Amino acid sequence: MTDESSDRTFADRALKRLPAEAPPPGFEAVLLAAYDAWNARRPQGRWAAFRAGLRQFSESIWPGAPAWAPASAFAFALLMGAGLGVTLPSILADEQPAFSLEQPAAFSLSSTGVVQEDM
Amino acid sequence: MHDPDAEDVAKAGRGDRDAAARLIARHSAKLLTVAGRMLANRAEAEDAVQEVFLRLWTHAGRWRPGGAKFETWLYRVMLNQCYDRLRRRPTQPLEEAAEMADEAALPGVGLDDGQVGREIARALETLPERQKAAILLCHFKECGNIEAAEIMGLSVEALESLLARGRRALRVQLQRLKGFAGDGP
Repeated sequence: MTDESSDRTFADRALKRLPAEAPPPGFEAVLLAAYDAWNARRPQGRWAAFRAGLRQFSESIWPGAPAWAPASAFAFALLMGAGLGVTLPSILADEQPAFSLEQPAAFSLSSTGVVQEDM
Repeated sequence: MHDPDAEDVAKAGRGDRDAAARLIARHSAKLLTVAGRMLANRAEAEDAVQEVFLRLWTHAGRWRPGGAKFETWLYRVMLNQCYDRLRRRPTQPLEEAAEMADEAALPGVGLDDGQVGREIARALETLPERQKAAILLCHFKECGNIEAAEIMGLSVEALESLLARGRRALRVQLQRLKGFAGDGP
């Protein structure tokens, strides 16, 4: 027998000799009374149902996170989107396009800039 | 993995008193035994178990089956309660603790069952809290190493190391007692 398994056997035997302690009479009743008190304080009605639904929804999109986490992520994404939506069009409008199909090219191989009227 | 408590937890969270009573009947006695041995104080253990159940009721509505087993969560809450209470206790000066250990070392020959029980309880009490928790979970809750490791938030190897050190320390302490060989009835 190894030291470890002999220690284990020894400890198991020793712990079996500890006197068993039953819960005091009425202990379960005390716990159940605490449940009743909690249940009486528990918010009920439409508002509680709405909050429970909201909590369930937030659990489904971000399990385990407190409610402020998905709310902040959503608010941040909304701000970023709105910010880009406002600033990006004006930035793009300021920039000159390199070429456009609607405007003639800036230079031409056939034109030297000299007007040859006599030809 | 089927969790036998999952349905009752959800029902209790919705206000079903019978489901709450079933959960209490199923878990309170064992929780109290482990907490009692952890804290070595019956009244404090009862308070701790009441606190565990209060936490259970407040979280029951949010319980999602499919994650960790409910019992694992329950025992983790109980252990945290015990650790908090142990840490709030005033610390004993080292010299005083050593004197008490020496007194316990030689209680005399021919211990009766009651004395043996008290000496074992005292030896258990002197173990570091995590070694004690590991031993109690494996012995009184009859956890396997994997489940006990999950409850304590450790790897299985770390738990096995705690168990080995705890059992060795227990043996060393108890073998110092005259007339105790650990092989009683």
